[in-house]
Amino acid sequence: MLNITVIVLLFLGLFFFFAGSVGILRFPDFYSRLHPAGKLDSMGLLLTMSAMALYTVGQWNLGAFLTAIKIMLIVVFIYITSPTATHAIVDAGVRAGLTPWIRSDKGTEHDLAA
Amino acid sequence: MKRLGLLAVILFGALLVYGTTDFPDWGDPSSPAATHLSPYYIQHSLHDTAVPNIVTAVLADYRGYDTMFETAVIFTAGLACLFLLRVFITPKETEASGLYRHRATGITLRIGQGGRLPLGTREFERIDSQWVPYDLIIRTACSLVLPFIQLFALYVVAHGHHSPGGGFQGGVIFGAALILFAISHNLRTTLKAMPEKRTNILTGTGVLIYVGTGVLCLLLGGQFLDYAALAGLLGVDPVMARSHGILIVEIGVAIAVMAVMVSLYYNLASAGHMDEGL
Repeated sequence: MLNITVIVLLFLGLFFFFAGSVGILRFPDFYSRLHPAGKLDSMGLLLTMSAMALYTVGQWNLGAFLTAIKIMLIVVFIYITSPTATHAIVDAGVRAGLTPWIRSDKGTEHDLAA
Repeated sequence: MKRLGLLAVILFGALLVYGTTDFPDWGDPSSPAATHLSPYYIQHSLHDTAVPNIVTAVLADYRGYDTMFETAVIFTAGLACLFLLRVFITPKETEASGLYRHRATGITLRIGQGGRLPLGTREFERIDSQWVPYDLIIRTACSLVLPFIQLFALYVVAHGHHSPGGGFQGGVIFGAALILFAISHNLRTTLKAMPEKRTNILTGTGVLIYVGTGVLCLLLGGQFLDYAALAGLLGVDPVMARSHGILIVEIGVAIAVMAVMVSLYYNLASAGHMDEGL
Protein backbone atom coordinates (compact mmCIF):
# COMPACT_ATOMS: atom_id res chain seq x y z
CA MET A 1 0.00 0.00 0.00
CA LEU A 2 2.80 2.41 0.98
CA ASN A 3 4.72 1.48 -2.14
CA ILE A 4 1.72 2.19 -4.35
CA THR A 5 1.25 5.62 -2.72
CA VAL A 6 4.94 6.37 -3.22
CA ILE A 7 4.81 5.34 -6.87
CA VAL A 8 1.67 7.39 -7.53
CA LEU A 9 3.23 10.46 -5.86
CA LEU A 10 6.47 10.05 -7.81
CA PHE A 11 4.67 9.79 -11.13
CA LEU A 12 2.45 12.77 -10.30
CA GLY A 13 5.59 14.75 -9.41
CA LEU A 14 7.30 13.71 -12.62
CA PHE A 15 4.18 14.73 -14.54
CA PHE A 16 4.39 18.20 -13.03
CA PHE A 17 8.11 18.45 -13.83
CA PHE A 18 7.45 17.32 -17.39
CA ALA A 19 4.56 19.75 -17.82
CA GLY A 20 6.79 22.49 -16.47
CA SER A 21 9.49 21.68 -19.03
CA VAL A 22 6.95 21.65 -21.86
CA GLY A 23 5.56 24.95 -20.59
CA ILE A 24 8.98 26.61 -20.62
CA LEU A 25 9.38 25.60 -24.25
CA ARG A 26 5.85 26.37 -25.42
CA PHE A 27 4.85 29.60 -23.68
CA PRO A 28 5.22 32.71 -25.83
CA ASP A 29 7.32 35.16 -23.80
CA PHE A 30 9.65 35.72 -20.88
CA TYR A 31 7.06 36.38 -18.17
CA SER A 32 4.70 33.56 -19.06
CA ARG A 33 7.60 31.13 -19.28
CA LEU A 34 8.46 31.87 -15.69
CA HIS A 35 4.98 30.72 -14.73
CA PRO A 36 5.57 27.00 -15.46
CA ALA A 37 9.20 27.30 -14.39
CA GLY A 38 8.28 28.58 -10.94
CA LYS A 39 4.99 26.95 -10.08
CA LEU A 40 5.13 23.51 -11.65
CA ASP A 41 8.64 22.88 -10.38
CA SER A 42 7.54 23.70 -6.84
CA MET A 43 4.57 21.33 -7.10
CA GLY A 44 6.68 18.57 -8.68
CA LEU A 45 9.29 18.98 -5.97
CA LEU A 46 6.68 18.75 -3.21
CA LEU A 47 5.24 15.54 -4.67
CA THR A 48 8.53 13.77 -5.38
CA MET A 49 10.09 14.78 -2.08
CA SER A 50 7.05 13.69 -0.05
CA ALA A 51 7.16 10.39 -1.94
CA MET A 52 10.79 9.94 -0.86
CA ALA A 53 10.04 10.98 2.71
CA LEU A 54 7.12 8.54 2.83
CA TYR A 55 9.30 5.76 1.47
CA THR A 56 11.94 6.44 4.13
CA VAL A 57 9.39 6.63 6.95
CA GLY A 58 8.18 3.17 5.88
CA GLN A 59 11.14 1.63 7.73
CA TRP A 60 9.68 2.73 11.06
CA ASN A 61 12.71 3.78 13.06
CA LEU A 62 14.07 7.00 14.45
CA GLY A 63 16.86 7.37 11.90
CA ALA A 64 14.46 7.01 9.00
CA PHE A 65 12.14 9.52 10.59
CA LEU A 66 14.96 12.07 10.92
CA THR A 67 15.93 11.49 7.30
CA ALA A 68 12.33 12.12 6.26
CA ILE A 69 12.33 15.39 8.18
CA LYS A 70 15.54 16.42 6.41
CA ILE A 71 13.96 15.61 3.04
CA MET A 72 10.95 17.75 3.87
CA LEU A 73 13.31 20.55 4.97
CA ILE A 74 14.59 20.63 1.37
CA VAL A 75 11.01 21.38 0.31
CA VAL A 76 10.73 24.17 2.89
CA PHE A 77 13.92 25.86 1.71
CA ILE A 78 13.08 25.51 -1.97
CA TYR A 79 9.65 26.98 -1.21
CA ILE A 80 11.35 30.01 0.29
CA THR A 81 14.03 30.49 -2.36
CA SER A 82 12.29 29.45 -5.60
CA PRO A 83 9.52 32.10 -5.53
CA THR A 84 12.10 34.68 -4.49
CA ALA A 85 14.25 33.77 -7.47
CA THR A 86 11.24 33.97 -9.79
CA HIS A 87 10.37 37.35 -8.30
CA ALA A 88 13.92 38.60 -8.81
CA ILE A 89 13.97 37.44 -12.43
CA VAL A 90 10.62 39.11 -13.19
CA ASP A 91 11.91 42.25 -11.49
CA ALA A 92 15.00 42.21 -13.66
CA GLY A 93 12.83 41.71 -16.74
CA VAL A 94 10.66 44.71 -15.89
CA ARG A 95 13.70 46.86 -15.25
CA ALA A 96 15.28 45.74 -18.52
CA GLY A 97 12.12 46.99 -20.25
CA LEU A 98 10.62 43.74 -21.50
CA THR A 99 6.97 44.18 -22.45
CA PRO A 100 4.51 41.36 -21.79
CA TRP A 101 3.20 39.40 -24.73
CA ILE A 102 -0.40 40.16 -25.80
CA ARG A 103 -2.74 38.73 -28.41
CA SER A 104 -3.95 41.37 -30.85
CA ASP A 105 -7.61 41.83 -31.85
CA LYS A 106 -7.29 40.10 -35.19
CA GLY A 107 -6.25 36.88 -33.50
CA THR A 108 -2.68 36.99 -34.73
CA GLU A 109 0.09 36.77 -32.24
CA HIS A 110 2.69 39.47 -31.99
CA ASP A 111 5.10 40.81 -29.49
CA LEU A 112 4.92 44.44 -28.47
CA ALA A 113 8.66 44.61 -28.12
CA ALA A 114 9.23 43.27 -31.63
CA MET B 1 60.42 36.91 -28.04
CA LYS B 2 56.86 35.79 -28.73
CA ARG B 3 58.08 32.99 -31.00
CA LEU B 4 60.56 31.93 -28.38
CA GLY B 5 57.74 31.67 -25.83
CA LEU B 6 55.61 29.67 -28.25
CA LEU B 7 58.54 27.36 -28.95
CA ALA B 8 59.06 26.79 -25.22
CA VAL B 9 55.38 26.04 -24.72
CA ILE B 10 55.32 23.56 -27.60
CA LEU B 11 58.53 21.89 -26.40
CA PHE B 12 57.32 21.49 -22.83
CA GLY B 13 53.89 20.40 -24.01
CA ALA B 14 55.45 17.74 -26.19
CA LEU B 15 57.66 16.68 -23.29
CA LEU B 16 54.62 16.32 -21.02
CA VAL B 17 52.72 14.32 -23.64
CA TYR B 18 55.80 12.14 -24.12
CA GLY B 19 55.93 11.67 -20.35
CA THR B 20 52.38 10.34 -20.24
CA THR B 21 53.37 7.38 -22.42
CA ASP B 22 55.18 5.91 -19.42
CA PHE B 23 52.05 6.06 -17.27
CA PRO B 24 50.26 2.82 -16.47
CA ASP B 25 47.03 2.26 -18.39
CA TRP B 26 43.84 3.87 -17.19
CA GLY B 27 42.46 1.76 -14.33
CA ASP B 28 45.26 -0.82 -14.71
CA PRO B 29 44.88 -3.23 -11.74
CA SER B 30 48.60 -4.07 -11.80
CA SER B 31 49.81 -0.46 -11.62
CA PRO B 32 51.78 0.52 -8.50
CA ALA B 33 48.96 2.77 -7.28
CA ALA B 34 46.45 -0.06 -7.42
CA THR B 35 48.74 -2.75 -5.96
CA HIS B 36 50.34 -0.98 -2.99
CA LEU B 37 48.89 2.43 -2.32
CA SER B 38 45.12 2.15 -2.62
CA PRO B 39 44.81 -1.16 -0.76
CA TYR B 40 46.89 0.30 2.07
CA TYR B 41 44.59 3.30 2.45
CA ILE B 42 41.46 1.15 2.17
CA GLN B 43 42.67 -1.35 4.78
CA HIS B 44 44.47 0.90 7.24
CA SER B 45 42.98 4.40 7.14
CA LEU B 46 40.21 3.72 9.69
CA HIS B 47 42.65 1.91 11.97
CA ASP B 48 45.31 4.62 11.62
CA THR B 49 43.23 7.78 11.86
CA ALA B 50 39.75 6.84 13.13
CA VAL B 51 38.27 8.66 10.12
CA PRO B 52 35.62 6.63 8.27
CA ASN B 53 35.86 8.80 5.15
CA ILE B 54 38.97 7.54 3.36
CA VAL B 55 39.10 10.57 1.06
CA THR B 56 39.38 12.95 4.02
CA ALA B 57 42.01 10.79 5.66
CA VAL B 58 44.13 10.71 2.51
CA LEU B 59 43.60 14.39 1.73
CA ALA B 60 44.36 15.92 5.11
CA ASP B 61 46.54 13.31 6.80
CA TYR B 62 48.51 11.03 4.47
CA ARG B 63 48.86 13.74 1.84
CA GLY B 64 48.51 16.72 4.15
CA TYR B 65 51.61 18.33 2.67
CA ASP B 66 49.93 18.45 -0.74
CA THR B 67 46.75 19.96 0.69
CA MET B 68 48.77 22.56 2.57
CA PHE B 69 50.16 23.88 -0.67
CA GLU B 70 46.73 23.72 -2.31
CA THR B 71 45.60 26.10 0.41
CA ALA B 72 48.67 28.21 -0.29
CA VAL B 73 47.70 28.29 -3.98
CA ILE B 74 44.26 29.64 -3.09
CA PHE B 75 45.90 32.18 -0.78
CA THR B 76 48.20 33.27 -3.61
CA ALA B 77 45.29 33.53 -6.05
CA GLY B 78 43.44 35.80 -3.63
CA LEU B 79 46.55 37.88 -3.11
CA ALA B 80 47.16 38.18 -6.86
CA CYS B 81 43.58 39.31 -7.47
CA LEU B 82 43.92 41.86 -4.68
CA PHE B 83 47.10 43.33 -6.11
CA LEU B 84 45.78 43.35 -9.68
CA LEU B 85 42.38 44.88 -9.05
CA ARG B 86 42.48 46.84 -5.81
CA VAL B 87 42.75 50.58 -6.29
CA PHE B 88 44.82 51.55 -3.29
CA ILE B 89 44.87 55.32 -3.72
CA THR B 90 41.48 57.02 -3.56
CA PRO B 91 41.23 60.78 -4.01
CA LYS B 92 39.68 62.42 -0.98
CA GLU B 93 37.12 64.40 -2.99
CA THR B 94 35.34 61.29 -4.19
CA GLU B 95 34.64 60.25 -0.63
CA ALA B 96 31.35 62.14 -0.50
CA SER B 97 30.50 61.98 -4.18
CA GLY B 98 27.71 59.68 -5.19
CA LEU B 99 23.98 59.35 -5.05
CA TYR B 100 22.10 59.88 -1.82
CA ARG B 101 18.43 59.13 -1.26
CA HIS B 102 16.32 61.04 1.20
CA ARG B 103 14.80 58.31 3.33
CA ALA B 104 11.44 59.98 3.91
CA THR B 105 10.62 61.28 0.44
CA GLY B 106 12.70 59.08 -1.83
CA ILE B 107 14.24 62.12 -3.54
CA THR B 108 17.72 61.33 -4.85
CA LEU B 109 20.56 63.81 -4.65
CA ARG B 110 23.81 63.70 -6.56
CA ILE B 111 26.66 65.06 -4.50
CA GLY B 112 29.41 66.14 -6.79
CA GLN B 113 33.12 66.42 -6.22
CA GLY B 114 33.94 68.71 -3.34
CA GLY B 115 30.40 68.74 -1.98
CA ARG B 116 29.32 67.01 1.16
CA LEU B 117 26.24 66.24 3.18
CA PRO B 118 25.69 67.80 6.61
CA LEU B 119 27.70 65.76 9.06
CA GLY B 120 25.89 63.25 11.23
CA THR B 121 22.67 63.36 9.26
CA ARG B 122 20.68 60.15 9.17
CA GLU B 123 18.08 61.42 6.74
CA PHE B 124 20.01 60.35 3.68
CA GLU B 125 21.29 56.96 2.63
CA ARG B 126 23.93 56.27 0.06
CA ILE B 127 22.69 54.37 -3.01
CA ASP B 128 24.47 52.87 -5.99
CA SER B 129 24.80 54.86 -9.20
CA GLN B 130 23.46 51.83 -11.04
CA TRP B 131 20.32 52.39 -9.04
CA VAL B 132 18.92 49.29 -7.43
CA PRO B 133 15.49 49.81 -5.86
CA TYR B 134 14.84 48.65 -2.34
CA ASP B 135 13.44 45.15 -2.73
CA LEU B 136 11.84 43.94 0.48
CA ILE B 137 11.02 40.44 -0.77
CA ILE B 138 14.53 39.52 -1.87
CA ARG B 139 16.17 41.02 1.23
CA THR B 140 13.79 39.25 3.60
CA ALA B 141 14.02 35.88 1.86
CA CYS B 142 17.81 36.04 1.73
CA SER B 143 18.05 37.07 5.38
CA LEU B 144 15.79 34.13 6.18
CA VAL B 145 17.90 31.47 4.47
CA LEU B 146 21.35 32.93 5.19
CA PRO B 147 21.70 31.50 8.74
CA PHE B 148 20.80 28.06 7.42
CA ILE B 149 23.35 28.29 4.62
CA GLN B 150 26.04 29.28 7.11
CA LEU B 151 25.00 26.50 9.48
CA PHE B 152 25.16 24.03 6.62
CA ALA B 153 28.63 25.31 5.71
CA LEU B 154 29.83 24.65 9.26
CA TYR B 155 28.18 21.22 9.10
CA VAL B 156 30.01 20.41 5.88
CA VAL B 157 33.33 21.45 7.47
CA ALA B 158 32.77 19.50 10.67
CA HIS B 159 31.24 16.45 9.00
CA GLY B 160 34.06 15.93 6.51
CA HIS B 161 35.20 12.97 8.59
CA HIS B 162 32.04 11.01 7.92
CA SER B 163 30.57 12.25 4.66
CA PRO B 164 31.66 14.06 1.52
CA GLY B 165 32.76 17.54 2.50
CA GLY B 166 35.56 19.25 4.32
CA GLY B 167 37.33 22.55 4.44
CA PHE B 168 37.27 23.50 0.77
CA GLN B 169 33.58 22.75 0.25
CA GLY B 170 32.44 24.24 3.54
CA GLY B 171 34.53 27.36 3.00
CA VAL B 172 33.07 27.86 -0.46
CA ILE B 173 29.52 27.53 0.89
CA PHE B 174 30.26 30.02 3.65
CA GLY B 175 31.77 32.46 1.16
CA ALA B 176 28.77 32.01 -1.12
CA ALA B 177 26.49 32.90 1.80
CA LEU B 178 28.34 36.19 2.28
CA ILE B 179 28.22 36.87 -1.46
CA LEU B 180 24.46 36.21 -1.43
CA PHE B 181 24.19 38.78 1.34
CA ALA B 182 26.12 41.26 -0.80
CA ILE B 183 23.89 40.61 -3.81
CA SER B 184 20.61 40.84 -1.91
CA HIS B 185 21.59 43.93 0.05
CA ASN B 186 24.52 45.90 -1.31
CA LEU B 187 28.27 45.96 -1.18
CA ARG B 188 28.52 48.69 1.46
CA THR B 189 26.30 46.82 3.92
CA THR B 190 28.42 43.73 3.42
CA LEU B 191 31.62 45.70 3.86
CA LYS B 192 30.27 46.96 7.18
CA ALA B 193 29.48 43.42 8.32
CA MET B 194 32.67 41.92 6.91
CA PRO B 195 35.30 44.61 6.34
CA GLU B 196 37.92 44.13 3.68
CA LYS B 197 40.67 44.21 6.26
CA ARG B 198 39.09 41.29 8.09
CA THR B 199 38.85 39.13 4.96
CA ASN B 200 42.48 39.85 4.18
CA ILE B 201 43.55 38.92 7.69
CA LEU B 202 41.42 35.78 7.67
CA THR B 203 42.97 34.70 4.37
CA GLY B 204 46.35 34.58 6.04
CA THR B 205 44.96 33.17 9.28
CA GLY B 206 43.61 30.09 7.51
CA VAL B 207 46.96 29.23 5.98
CA LEU B 208 48.66 30.04 9.28
CA ILE B 209 46.42 27.58 11.16
CA TYR B 210 47.36 24.85 8.68
CA VAL B 211 51.08 25.52 8.72
CA GLY B 212 51.02 26.25 12.45
CA THR B 213 49.54 22.81 13.12
CA GLY B 214 52.39 21.29 11.15
CA VAL B 215 55.00 23.30 13.02
CA LEU B 216 53.36 22.45 16.34
CA CYS B 217 53.70 18.76 15.49
CA LEU B 218 57.34 19.43 14.73
CA LEU B 219 57.86 21.17 18.08
CA LEU B 220 56.13 18.37 19.98
CA GLY B 221 58.60 15.86 18.63
CA GLY B 222 56.73 14.45 15.65
CA GLN B 223 57.24 15.02 11.96
CA PHE B 224 55.78 17.95 10.05
CA LEU B 225 51.96 17.51 9.95
CA ASP B 226 52.17 14.22 11.88
CA TYR B 227 49.09 14.89 14.01
CA ALA B 228 49.78 11.93 16.29
CA ALA B 229 52.30 14.18 18.06
CA LEU B 230 49.41 16.34 19.24
CA ALA B 231 48.06 13.50 21.39
CA GLY B 232 49.47 14.88 24.65
CA LEU B 233 48.26 18.38 23.93
CA LEU B 234 44.72 17.31 23.04
CA GLY B 235 44.53 14.71 25.81
CA VAL B 236 43.56 11.81 23.54
CA ASP B 237 45.31 8.74 22.16
CA PRO B 238 47.43 9.15 19.01
CA VAL B 239 44.79 7.72 16.67
CA MET B 240 42.12 10.16 17.82
CA ALA B 241 44.75 12.93 17.73
CA ARG B 242 45.13 12.30 14.01
CA SER B 243 41.37 12.58 13.62
CA HIS B 244 41.26 15.85 15.56
CA GLY B 245 44.31 17.15 13.71
CA ILE B 246 42.46 16.67 10.44
CA LEU B 247 39.57 18.74 11.80
CA ILE B 248 41.88 21.57 12.89
CA VAL B 249 43.51 21.64 9.48
CA GLU B 250 40.13 21.57 7.73
CA ILE B 251 39.00 24.56 9.77
CA GLY B 252 42.10 26.43 8.60
CA VAL B 253 41.36 25.53 4.99
CA ALA B 254 37.72 26.61 5.39
CA ILE B 255 38.70 30.01 6.80
CA ALA B 256 41.21 30.62 4.01
CA VAL B 257 38.84 29.56 1.23
CA MET B 258 35.94 31.59 2.65
CA ALA B 259 38.03 34.73 3.01
CA VAL B 260 39.52 34.39 -0.47
CA MET B 261 36.06 33.90 -2.02
CA VAL B 262 34.72 37.03 -0.35
CA SER B 263 37.85 39.04 -1.14
CA LEU B 264 37.66 38.02 -4.81
CA TYR B 265 34.01 39.05 -4.92
CA TYR B 266 34.71 42.44 -3.33
CA ASN B 267 37.47 43.18 -5.79
CA LEU B 268 35.66 41.97 -8.89
CA ALA B 269 32.25 43.49 -8.08
CA SER B 270 33.57 46.96 -7.25
CA ALA B 271 36.45 46.96 -9.74
CA GLY B 272 38.82 47.42 -6.81
CA HIS B 273 37.18 50.56 -5.39
CA MET B 274 35.36 48.87 -2.46
CA ASP B 275 32.68 51.46 -3.02
CA GLU B 276 29.71 50.16 -4.91
CA GLY B 277 28.83 47.38 -7.26
CA LEU B 278 26.17 44.73 -7.67
